[in-house]
Amino acid sequence: MKNLKKSCIYLLLTIGAFIMVFPFIWMILSSLKTAAEVNSIPPTFFPSSPTMENYTYALEKAPFLIYFRNSVIVTIACVICTQFTTILAAFAFSRLKFPGRDLMFSLLLSMMMIPFEMLIITNYQTIVGWNLVDNLAALIIPFTSSVFYTYILRNFFLSIPDSLYYSARVDGASNWKYLWRVMVPMAKPALVTIGLLNAITCWNSFLWTVLVTNKTENRTLPFGLYAFMTSSGIRYERLMAAATIVVIPMIILFICFRKEIVTGVSRGGLKG
Amino acid sequence: MKITLEHLTKKFGSTIAVNDLSITMESGKMIALLGPSGCGKTTILNMLSGILPATSGKIWFDDQDVTSLPPEKRNIGLVFQNYALYPHMTVLENICFPLEIKKVPKKQRIARARELAELVRISEYLDRKPAELSGGQQQRVAIARALAKEPQLLLLDEPLSNLDAKLRVEMREEILRIQRASNITTIFVTHDQEEASSIADDVILLKLGVLQQQGAARTLYDEPVNFFAADFLGAPPINKLRGTVENGAFVFEGSNVSLTLPLRREVSNGTKAILALRAESVVVPADGASLTARVMNRYSINKDELSVLEICGQQFRGFISGDYPLSIGEEICFSLKKRGVFLFVEETGERLA
Amino acid sequence: MIRRKERQSGEKLTVRTILEPTLFLAPFLIGLILFTVYPFINVIIISFKQNYKILTGAFSGFGLENYQAVISDPYFLSGLKNTFLYMLFVVPIATALSLLIATMLNGNVKCKALFQTCYFLPMVTSITAVGLVWKWLYNYDYGLINYLFSLFGIEPINWLNNPKYNLPALIIYGIWNMIPMTTILLLAGFQNVNPQYYTAARVDGARSLRIFFRITLPLLAPTIGLTLIINMITASKVFSELFPLFNGNPGAAYSLYTVVYYLYDMFFVKWKLGRAAASAVILFLIVLVLTMIQLFIQRKWKNY
Repeated sequence: MKNLKKSCIYLLLTIGAFIMVFPFIWMILSSLKTAAEVNSIPPTFFPSSPTMENYTYALEKAPFLIYFRNSVIVTIACVICTQFTTILAAFAFSRLKFPGRDLMFSLLLSMMMIPFEMLIITNYQTIVGWNLVDNLAALIIPFTSSVFYTYILRNFFLSIPDSLYYSARVDGASNWKYLWRVMVPMAKPALVTIGLLNAITCWNSFLWTVLVTNKTENRTLPFGLYAFMTSSGIRYERLMAAATIVVIPMIILFICFRKEIVTGVSRGGLKG
Repeated sequence: MKITLEHLTKKFGSTIAVNDLSITMESGKMIALLGPSGCGKTTILNMLSGILPATSGKIWFDDQDVTSLPPEKRNIGLVFQNYALYPHMTVLENICFPLEIKKVPKKQRIARARELAELVRISEYLDRKPAELSGGQQQRVAIARALAKEPQLLLLDEPLSNLDAKLRVEMREEILRIQRASNITTIFVTHDQEEASSIADDVILLKLGVLQQQGAARTLYDEPVNFFAADFLGAPPINKLRGTVENGAFVFEGSNVSLTLPLRREVSNGTKAILALRAESVVVPADGASLTARVMNRYSINKDELSVLEICGQQFRGFISGDYPLSIGEEICFSLKKRGVFLFVEETGERLA
Repeated sequence: MIRRKERQSGEKLTVRTILEPTLFLAPFLIGLILFTVYPFINVIIISFKQNYKILTGAFSGFGLENYQAVISDPYFLSGLKNTFLYMLFVVPIATALSLLIATMLNGNVKCKALFQTCYFLPMVTSITAVGLVWKWLYNYDYGLINYLFSLFGIEPINWLNNPKYNLPALIIYGIWNMIPMTTILLLAGFQNVNPQYYTAARVDGARSLRIFFRITLPLLAPTIGLTLIINMITASKVFSELFPLFNGNPGAAYSLYTVVYYLYDMFFVKWKLGRAAASAVILFLIVLVLTMIQLFIQRKWKNY
């Protein structure tokens, strides 16, 4: 009875897991097939003669290497800038004392519910006004401040005992020194988590990229992929190869940092 | 370094944590700030370190007024109750940190750290992280770190309260040894009278932010100025017997049994008073003028036999030699030593005898 | 408590205590003001400007014209309806499935890491890229879904080109997309339930199913409530999913407008800024109401 129940759970879990990953498996398998095989009925599961041709095609016909480079630049720049502003702000909100601090912080928290989609109109105008359309900076600058990440980091900072701070102050360390020598090294797990969440968001960002980039050489991967689809027609084996290029880095990232990402997501969702 | 507090007051909103405190602490001594929780002892420590600003009054280090100096300019070492070691740094890095801030060259600071590690006996753990050390070892590291920049004053906040009972005795002797070896003025905060009595040269007893008594632990024990001091020091706690003063003698409550004590001043008849006597002041068999009590119970604490006695419906405890045969329910005669017997006014705690 | 005490202890306000926080906050606040606070206020103002021209910034006056136009626009109304239907199907189904998955994953299963990786993977991957895969799965002639249907003798469905099936296609993809996040949130909720309750129930002789309905579910109710709201907020912003599935159009016959797609369309395709702004404000109000409900739930269940 007990074994039967256990087996049922495993069976259900396995089927569910298979459904969840199947699109990824199918994507990779299809990307290795020839055009004829992709459109065969009945479909084959494994490619009968795996080929890298679709990847070479995608890389030749569309500048996926440039898209990739752009994505990497934008993601890294975004993460570094956001980490910097977040660390400083979280420190100010957790450690420094100034009038109106708590009021200001709750005001910031309420900003978390403003949907980003609402802001694109004015932000687009700002970027146009600054002459940054078709410039990678346009993909970075609007995203350097995050209330959400500041909130997560501030909570982590608050959990560091006051005595460490006073100890360092008695030893003569300034706030600046204390932040970088003590708090930041101690907050490494939280920093890794918010960095990863931020990197994932940046990498996958689509709507904003569509708005502010026109030229091919300024696109990031998701937009590049979409453009590839509309320009080169529906050839699924090729599309799947291109999609794989977009998706693989995040899959690798996720497999390496699953725990950190999962904690970050749950901490963010169930705030309060 | 000599430390002087001058009318020091600290208010948190409407509550007064430290009330008009004036004390002098002598150089090179081990000083205990003793009192129950809420007596303001940690607040005083925080004001000495500069973490908390004083509401009014002054703090002098020798001839220097440090009242408004920030912590980093006071040249003090501070050890927190939870040690506050930086968890991401090794022991060596922890001890070096204050020197690094002071921009001491690397070679010099490592040499100094090794020297201190030697002093506090943690040389073999220099490469470990704090989490890999026991409580006592962490305490040693914290002291070494506090001493690293050669402070004029070492402050310890409840240094032993995070340790288990056995380690506590060991560490308090260690702290005394380190203090004697470095000869640095040391102030520590504690709520444990035994801890204060065992190592402090000078005990400052506080209650609700007000100084009660200052002096050597022995003095506080033998000559408490008020009921609070008598009650706070000593284990087992001092016996308290209620009664009134009639014609210059103490009369037990609800009886006419009386005890004559040399009163310090005249008090009106019927003043409620408390006779406080230490357990070791009970003498059986009676020697001289005696009182009668009934044996209620007796049990032994290691070498001592502690007996619970009852006089006029009030219980008290006394050390009675195990050689003396006593049976429960028996009436015995006892007398009191001169030492360890006090009389206080119940309402004010003022000492009468 | 201690913080309050320190505040009352009357620390002096010096140049340092004002200047230092300002410096620490400056980089963060500049970005926030320029790209969140200002655009938020500005978009509300634009939504009331009549005949607003993006290039010149000229407008003829303030009024409710944009709102009237949006509310009477059949595309917006259909967008509202579609968003609502999408929410109505995706949120409960995804949450129920996630609850099942989370319950199983929370038990004592082997290979937890492997299962978690499988279930959570869609969360980190690009909607555009994975959307393409779904487009391929939905393909009428060669798609795997229709092939599987044919094995069971079901007529192939023209998921992407028959407007009738566009919304179901979007919903299925949406459910798949929402499961990872929801499962993570529910698992976190499970973590907050004291395992002693289970032990106690088991000692009392309760059976698994009973434990689930009488203990797990009630204790998890706040988390489930929150998850539902969070999912509703996410679902109300459905947009990016449309691009890969329908080549950038809102469904095969332009019948699958959503609120955000309408916003995008008005702004970036038709350049009617006033209407885009008005629809943005309406979206904000929807999210605001949902957030208020969320806060209400959180407050109510705080003392659980």
